[in-house]
Amino acid sequence: MLWKLSLTGIKSRRRDYAVLFSGLMLAAAIFYMFMTLAINPAFLKGALTISFSITKYVFIVGIILLSIITLVYIVYDNSFLLSMRKKDYGLYLMLGARTSKIGELIFAETLLVGFLATILGSILGIGLAQLVSKLLINQLGLQIHKFVGFYLPALLWTIVFFLALFFLAALWNRHKLVKSQVIDLLHEQQRPVNLRFHPVWKTIEAVLGIVLLAVGYWAMWNYKQLMTNSLWIGLITIVAGTYFTFDSLFSIVIRLLRRNQKFANRRLHSFTLGQLQFRLGAYTRILSVVSLLFALALGAITVGLNFHSLTDQAMESTYYDVVIYKHSPKVDRQLKHVSVRKTQNLNYKLVGTGKWQIIYVSEPQIAKEKLKYQHFYQKDGQAAYSTRTITPENIRKADEGYMQLSMLMPYPSAQIKLVSAKQYQNIKAKEQKTDFLLVNNFRQNFNQIEKLQHLAVKQIMDGPKVESSDITINLNNSKSAQYRLIASVASGFEFMGFFLGLAFLAMLASTLMFKVLSGAESDKLRYQMLAKIGAQVSWLKQAVRVEIGTLFALPAVLGIVDVLFGLQFFKSMLKNPYDRLWIPFTLFLVIYLLYYLLTVKMYEQLVLKNQH
Amino acid sequence: MNEILKAEAITKTYGARGAKQYQALKGIYFSLQKGEFVGIMGASGSGKTTLLNILSTLDVPTSGKVVINQHDLSSLNKKQLADFRGREIGFIFQDFNLLENLTNRENIALPLALQNVKAAEINEKVNAIAKRLGIDSILTKYPAEISGGQKQRVAAARALVHNPAILFGDEPTGALDSTAATELLTTMEKLNQEDQVTILMVTHDPYSASYAQRILFIKDGKIGRELEKGQASRADFYQEIIGELGRN
Repeated sequence: MLWKLSLTGIKSRRRDYAVLFSGLMLAAAIFYMFMTLAINPAFLKGALTISFSITKYVFIVGIILLSIITLVYIVYDNSFLLSMRKKDYGLYLMLGARTSKIGELIFAETLLVGFLATILGSILGIGLAQLVSKLLINQLGLQIHKFVGFYLPALLWTIVFFLALFFLAALWNRHKLVKSQVIDLLHEQQRPVNLRFHPVWKTIEAVLGIVLLAVGYWAMWNYKQLMTNSLWIGLITIVAGTYFTFDSLFSIVIRLLRRNQKFANRRLHSFTLGQLQFRLGAYTRILSVVSLLFALALGAITVGLNFHSLTDQAMESTYYDVVIYKHSPKVDRQLKHVSVRKTQNLNYKLVGTGKWQIIYVSEPQIAKEKLKYQHFYQKDGQAAYSTRTITPENIRKADEGYMQLSMLMPYPSAQIKLVSAKQYQNIKAKEQKTDFLLVNNFRQNFNQIEKLQHLAVKQIMDGPKVESSDITINLNNSKSAQYRLIASVASGFEFMGFFLGLAFLAMLASTLMFKVLSGAESDKLRYQMLAKIGAQVSWLKQAVRVEIGTLFALPAVLGIVDVLFGLQFFKSMLKNPYDRLWIPFTLFLVIYLLYYLLTVKMYEQLVLKNQH
Repeated sequence: MNEILKAEAITKTYGARGAKQYQALKGIYFSLQKGEFVGIMGASGSGKTTLLNILSTLDVPTSGKVVINQHDLSSLNKKQLADFRGREIGFIFQDFNLLENLTNRENIALPLALQNVKAAEINEKVNAIAKRLGIDSILTKYPAEISGGQKQRVAAARALVHNPAILFGDEPTGALDSTAATELLTTMEKLNQEDQVTILMVTHDPYSASYAQRILFIKDGKIGRELEKGQASRADFYQEIIGELGRN
């Protein structure tokens, strides 16, 4: 009988359950997706041939973080479930059901919901993994191959992890219900809240919070002096500072606003402020967690996208975009697909074979053509390049410019000799020519450019036997090869940053959403009352928007500040971590905003049901 | 005479057309003059709450007409209805319905704030009504910190602060002990007599009802008998009510 009642209870609240269920499903799906990426060798090896071992380590850190977040998420999701069921269970108990039976019921219900959500979530995760990887690879132009959504070990891990979590959650729910008094279950919503406020303590706490945050930000800003210490200082002070700030500063601000009669006495302001003050008391922990997660997620996306700048470095290290050693119909045809900005060339005559090869170039041409190369040096511990010109003097001295020129030629082991124009003409050998191209939009046309470079190399390597025997061209020195190499490493990081960021974001936003929604039940009466005393539905909606908006905005603001300072850490690794900051920020905030709107909509549905 | 409320041929039917229907109100006629204190009594399920909801604009009748202070409620749209409630109607509920996140002062100020009254004026009015109801010393407290009787006084202050045309009470003494109930009823009687506040109170408690001047008995969705206190004492009127209830 109780089982039947329980099912009817679920049925009557199927919309709320749908919200809860979809949240859990999403969590399982995200976890599965990350697991496939983290432990699926096909993905890792395909994407990151070079730094496989490092990346694996990074992924493990990612898994740990994700697990912690999932845990927090399930705790809140679970409290939402419990808040929905408390009254029903209280009623059963009042009607004489035995506590043990109710305990059994809640245990089974939690486990069942969790089990179904995990299974469906994993299936969703397989599909999403396929879709997301495709989308990301296309959108970001990532170089990742051989990725398949389904990977059994990841699936097993996900199921085991989630079932363990739900088992714990079920035990916890059972414990909580069995220990509660019937009266508390029935009147859970009317329990008075402690609204007392100790101004002195709160002020001290607020000052402490701000000071701690300031110290943390200072530590991160001075990363260079403090090195790893800044990480520890930052971690401790920012976590504690965030907590104190949420626990005190914001309530002080709200109190001051409430004191301001003019502001507080407008329409529903006093109600919204009252709600917020009451919420902040109960939300301190979750808002702190959300703010820190927000920083982590936004940081991951920002840094991940910034890895793209590594490819800038790759492009900077080589001056010429394409080098053509020999023209052929094939090469010329491909050349039409590439928009060339500038062409320089060098004529030369090759004499001798094997070790005794000599390349003769005419001094006037070298002087006139002003071929360029990228000079490498270090600036603030980071790789930097400056453009230099190859002069006749370089060749005479056989210095860096000479080496660079030699690498541009198809006979790198040959000696280069500078001769006068007249001498050059007198040398009895066939004149050959190398073209050095600068192109427009290297990134966008990368595929065509790479193809051209490949063809150009293939053309000369496959030439007549005699000619080709001494030719060695290291394709890896070409700009397109450098670019591809770095891009594949960067893409891996980019992908992971992006993915982790989005996963964190989804989790943190849904955590906040469930926390807000689990309070809806007790807010219902308040809104009904307000409607009765003459509040317009539009004002009530406005109040909902402002209240939830504040709860979403506060952690976001702190999180953004965290990221702005936290990016200092990456200064040693990335050239400019603050580069194009608006892209990840906009992307992130848009998704966050969507979650906010969804929460508002669902909250309205729960709270203003009768007013519609 | 100054007619504050007029109900004409009000019916209310629940359930969709074609499905099983239940008629809660079967044609209610009555009117209320300014400064009257009227009680509505009836057994559970007699339709008194439905009637109160319709009169107080929270629900709409299936047919019939309600006019309050010369406004025909059926001619008002949703927004106008909310506005109307805010200006012309005051409510006291059985379970107080105070917002526990707001101080008592803020609770009382709410109806005025909703009408965008200036802060200084709000303060003045809140202070005045609080003094009238003897709750000026607890204004800075939260509802959780005061007694049930005090809560209902705060609720009454909130219902009256904007000087409504009519005060609706839905079992206002239902959650109070007898001392607090008597206090509240005396206050309501005083407000009615001294300030000409028009009151319509739904109750099933004969003691509460005896404070009214006139009582309408509602039975099976219709108004049956009507009792007038006239010059009788409250004790006699109480006996009369008991007698009337006993006849059913």
